[in-house]
Amino acid sequence: MVLEATMICVDNSEWMRNGDYSPSRFQAQSDAVSLICGAKTQSNPENTVGVLTMAAKGVRVLATPTSDLGKILACMHGLEIGGQMNLAAGIQVAQLALKHRQNKKQQQRIIVFAGSPVKHEKKMLELIGRKLKKNSVALDIVNFGEEDEGKTEKLEALLAAVNNNDSSHMVHVPPGPNALSDVLISTPIFTGDGEGGSGFAAAAAAASAGGVSGYDFGVDPNLDPELALALRVSMEEERARQEAAAKKAAEDASKQEKGGGQHAISQDATMTENKTNDLDDESALLQQALAMSMDDPEVSHDVRDTDMSEAATDDPELALALQMSVADSAKDSASQTDVSKLLADQSFVSSVLASLPGVDPNDSSVKDLLASMQSQSDQKNEEERPNEEEEK
Amino acid sequence: MSAESASAVHKGQVDLLDFIDWSSVECLNQSTTHSLPNAIKQGYREDDGLHLESDADEQLLLYIPFTQVIKLYSIAVKGPEDEGPKTVKLWSNKEHMGFSNVNDFPPNDVAVLSPENLKGKPVLLKYVKFQNVRSLTIFIEDNQTESEITKVQKIQLYGSTVETTDMKGLKKIEDH
Repeated sequence: MVLEATMICVDNSEWMRNGDYSPSRFQAQSDAVSLICGAKTQSNPENTVGVLTMAAKGVRVLATPTSDLGKILACMHGLEIGGQMNLAAGIQVAQLALKHRQNKKQQQRIIVFAGSPVKHEKKMLELIGRKLKKNSVALDIVNFGEEDEGKTEKLEALLAAVNNNDSSHMVHVPPGPNALSDVLISTPIFTGDGEGGSGFAAAAAAASAGGVSGYDFGVDPNLDPELALALRVSMEEERARQEAAAKKAAEDASKQEKGGGQHAISQDATMTENKTNDLDDESALLQQALAMSMDDPEVSHDVRDTDMSEAATDDPELALALQMSVADSAKDSASQTDVSKLLADQSFVSSVLASLPGVDPNDSSVKDLLASMQSQSDQKNEEERPNEEEEK
Repeated sequence: MSAESASAVHKGQVDLLDFIDWSSVECLNQSTTHSLPNAIKQGYREDDGLHLESDADEQLLLYIPFTQVIKLYSIAVKGPEDEGPKTVKLWSNKEHMGFSNVNDFPPNDVAVLSPENLKGKPVLLKYVKFQNVRSLTIFIEDNQTESEITKVQKIQLYGSTVETTDMKGLKKIEDH
């Protein structure tokens, strides 16, 4: 939440044509720039970000520090690649641009993408670094692309000269399957000196990691343990939710085509169903609720309504209300309304469970109950299916 | 020395410590461990163990805004004999100066500190130039021995306020 003005120095030299970062180094860099701009503006609405290019015909400021995200994204389009990166000039121009920022209360920060060899002497870089420190400008360096001999050393020297109280960072991104932006998300460049990782970064990371269950979150727990923990917890919750939803799907109708991931989850669920526990009062309640929902005309063959599912998850009360309204209309299997889609959706069950007081969806007994329900209803569904298909 | 400080603190001149707007005080190129409050805050500045130190090189740029308009009469800078400041330039009412534009505007006053000054003897300023001061920028250009680091133990500003707290100043004289 630090009020900050940032200048991003983009490397658009010839070395950026290389494809070792997919789709190309330059594209990966552009994505990273967009992400950074978003993160900065979101962490504090008064933050401003500017962009300049360091290569091609010379250092050129594309956008002075502004809080208008659209302007920055627009200026990243149609950039020409060529020439050689001029790191020293780029940093100095960035410093000048920051000096003339409108809101003098903002802290000054420069983010440099160093993808090509550094032609300057180490001494010169140290001098520049000291000048930055003197004017209390922080510097973040993203070292990617070319691994020149001495390049890392020079950048380390620059960082040491600038670094004041750990406000400046350097990140090495080796070429690999992970996108440049994904790797950067977990670094202090995004999380802002570890001030409780920005919500933007965490959300972006969770979105990329939680999509497929069982995916090893691409965040190194060593780099950012808080973020890794948050990801792990969110994945556990997601997994529990999906398991419950998978069972719901299986009972409603296997006619509903869930994604491949869902099948995998339902398989996991069936394995757990081998454990049987005694049903207590809560389970009885659950059973009633499930029976009620199953009696409702579940039609929607056209399933994969992820948006709907998320909507239902987000608003369990809505799902409940919709369920009640559908229960009234009853036995209208032909109606392909959104309502029925919502009901048919497996996440409905998890939301119902969540809204029931005293029920913990993650409770093993609940899970087992659902599993047993699923196995019971499997046969029932197979009977139902031919009926409903006739109706359609 | 007490006689001379008395002459500096005369005609109702008070220590302007109470009128400093602490929320906006800034200092460029200070070291994180030895920062500006060590030199100007009550209690800290009396402690000789605490001092303000420069970081990357020997220059320091201080920005001190005031809560009300004041007139500046004199300034006392205390520091070690070898690493204490030498040339001190002052600007009034110039906001957000940086090291790059210290040469753009002529300073309202320049003080070259002698070792006597560094022991605490105040330097009388061009009073007429500091009649209407909302903020003060102090640029310490170099130190006594051209060393890498400049150290300042205490900075004291003497002057008077322009508005109604003249009564306070008068009261001070009565105490004498």
